[in-house]
Amino acid sequence: MTKEASNPELWLKDHGDYLYRYAMSKLHDEELASDMVQETLLAAWKGWDNFAGNSAVKTWLVGILKHKIIDHIRKEIRNRKLTEAVETDPTSALFNADGSWVDAPRSWKENPEDLCGSDQFQKVLQACIDKLPEKQQVVFTMREVVGEDSDAICKEAEITSTHLHVLIHRARLALRACLEFNWFGGERQS
Amino acid sequence: MNHFCKEASQLQSDKFERDLTLMEKIRLRIHLTICSACKNYADNLKLLNGFFHGRRKAAGIDENITLSEQDRERIREALKKDSTNS
Repeated sequence: MTKEASNPELWLKDHGDYLYRYAMSKLHDEELASDMVQETLLAAWKGWDNFAGNSAVKTWLVGILKHKIIDHIRKEIRNRKLTEAVETDPTSALFNADGSWVDAPRSWKENPEDLCGSDQFQKVLQACIDKLPEKQQVVFTMREVVGEDSDAICKEAEITSTHLHVLIHRARLALRACLEFNWFGGERQS
Repeated sequence: MNHFCKEASQLQSDKFERDLTLMEKIRLRIHLTICSACKNYADNLKLLNGFFHGRRKAAGIDENITLSEQDRERIREALKKDSTNS
């Protein structure tokens, strides 16, 4: 490898924006995304000797960034959830003993495009995600926020696909109920 | 009488994660035609799925999303500092 190829300032110049966009598409937080780019470039530079050179530098950098993002999510959630040991199952609270809904889901009148454009909705949504128990929060964030596929998440979280499906199902139930209460329901639905 | 709603909600989530079996598909489809609560649940999940998908896609391709000059400068400094330390 030439000296020039291993110049992190050049990586920043050539791939900085791409890496930043990638991080933004997964994290939706400007400060955090730029931190992730910085960490990625530092790690890449330290690990330059391990770069096999059989992929493009950009691909290699994205690979490092991806790991940084997943690490960050896991750490972040773990730090906030130290006291919470139990994995709650919302189905017992949301369904009656006979299998019917306690509160029947209502029809939501909004569309994905408008929701994407609403900062307020994104805040309410994040608050609802933050309320999920740790495991549900990790797998749900990886699945829907980051957009990882099931196989990758199972490997990362060291769980079976059946377990993953149960966790995501519980997360969706809890999240839907939280959003109906805090966003779609009540006075907003006029 | 036992309701299928609880089971149906698991299947509705699974639909985004795996292929349902033929039997599961049929039971779910029949249930959704007679249960408006579960039909709403299906639409709610579809809306959320569309939202998450749209948000990921939008941020990944938006050329207006770039590192600010301050961020670039900060990262350059960090790289320099690191190179003098090691």
